[in-house]
Amino acid sequence: MHVSVEGLRFARGGRLVLDIPSLQFVEGSTTAVFGPNGSGKTTLLRLIGGLERPTAGLVRIGDLPVNGDSASRQQVAFAFQEAVFVRGSVRRNLDLALKLRDVPAAQRTWRLTEAARECGLELLLDRAARQLSVGEAQRANLARALSLRAPVTLLDEPLSGIDRLTRVQLLDDLPRMLGTFAATTILVTHDRQEAFRLADHLVVLVDGRVHAAGPKAEVYARPPDQATAELLGYTVVHKEDCALGVPPGGWTIGGEGESFALAVERVVDMGNHLHVVGRIGRVRVDVRLRRGDTIPARGEWVTVAATSYVPVGR
Amino acid sequence: MGEALALLLGGDSELYGIIARTLLISGTATLIAMLAGIPLGYALARGSFPGRTVLLGMVNTGMGMPPVVVGLVVWLLLTRSGPFGAWELIYTPQAMIIAQFVIATPLVVGFTAASIQALPAQLPDLLTSLGAGRVQALWILSREARLGLLAAVMAGFGAIVSEVGASMTVGGNLRGSTRVLTTAIVTETGRGNLPVALALGCLLLALAFAVNLLLTLVQQRRTG
Repeated sequence: MHVSVEGLRFARGGRLVLDIPSLQFVEGSTTAVFGPNGSGKTTLLRLIGGLERPTAGLVRIGDLPVNGDSASRQQVAFAFQEAVFVRGSVRRNLDLALKLRDVPAAQRTWRLTEAARECGLELLLDRAARQLSVGEAQRANLARALSLRAPVTLLDEPLSGIDRLTRVQLLDDLPRMLGTFAATTILVTHDRQEAFRLADHLVVLVDGRVHAAGPKAEVYARPPDQATAELLGYTVVHKEDCALGVPPGGWTIGGEGESFALAVERVVDMGNHLHVVGRIGRVRVDVRLRRGDTIPARGEWVTVAATSYVPVGR
Repeated sequence: MGEALALLLGGDSELYGIIARTLLISGTATLIAMLAGIPLGYALARGSFPGRTVLLGMVNTGMGMPPVVVGLVVWLLLTRSGPFGAWELIYTPQAMIIAQFVIATPLVVGFTAASIQALPAQLPDLLTSLGAGRVQALWILSREARLGLLAAVMAGFGAIVSEVGASMTVGGNLRGSTRVLTTAIVTETGRGNLPVALALGCLLLALAFAVNLLLTLVQQRRTG
């Protein structure tokens, strides 16, 4: 189901925390709402989920306005950042969710079994939900939301706070899980890697305002401003009137490309290679040394080249 | 001690009247205290309104209020020349219920608020997002907080079934009408009838134990 936002404003304690004139979430796609902490991502998700009422404006799911009644909530499955459970087993928790969605008892059993299987929870179904490890709890949290097969699935930081191994596994598994159970997915993350790996559309949110929105390749190829470029991982440097966004690993000592003078601050030994950290103007730049490069000394000026870059803004 | 046992086993009809009255008065007061105290405790735990902290402080103070002071205030309100004297409630079981309700409610509110606050903060949001209605969500939350809520009921009932000051002051310890176990114990002790007083004391303890055992069984029941 298509989700659209019109003239949405949300104020908390007299401060405008969200101001989005217009925003569309494409039906059947996965969109990452991506931005730093405190940018209003979770608030946007809660507004779409009908858990907060906008100060002004409207969220629509399909043609239906989200107004906090149960009909509009039925359109949405919400996985909160913190995995909360009622007492009892994982099975009881999954069952309760389906029950509250008025799924008949006969269907509940196979639907929760199916969701548990897809989320790698089969062996944990009879464990106490509140005693799961953080990673297991997150799987159960996702399974509970996905089992609802709602037209719109909302995931708040689905991979935050879990151990590295589980995170890597979930990064691999989540797209398949979403493919099976979710139609339109909106996920919130502050992690660039998560946003790129899980989503096909990006919405960049900074201080409650949308800085960029669109297919991820487009947003990545043409960041509209410096804040967006930096969030996407670019180092933004200025050359005459232009701002250039240089991706990680986009610098070499000497070589072809746009060249800049770098004031070397330190050389970092990464074990199998060296990094030169320095500044172009006031911008911190990290250059990986290639084999055969002369190792610069601290305080020295070297010429570095941006071998690949994108224009930032305009 | 033998005399006490004989009294208990003897099937004294006045004694059974006292037991029934004790249960009826304290049970009714507890029930009303629950009806008022549980929603109030929930609101105090979850709500954000001005004066919430002050109110919680008042409740916590009320949890330790001396029953005899409550009795005095209720007496002043209900006595024939008092503001509600026209209702003619003084020295009736109803007056005792009112006084016991005032004693039990802060306990119920305080324990309820604490048990609701101990639930995961996002649980209400989860239930709402899953599509639970207001009543349904409250029901599920109460089940989650069952341990604490039953502790609230036990604390309330325990406090009023065993208090004597307020019951004596507003009930008057009238034989056959407002005499309950605690006031009967005071009477018998005053008369020097120690074996009977002791028997009544044992009875009160047994009664309190029976009620609390029942509630504890409900509280500790494992959920599937």
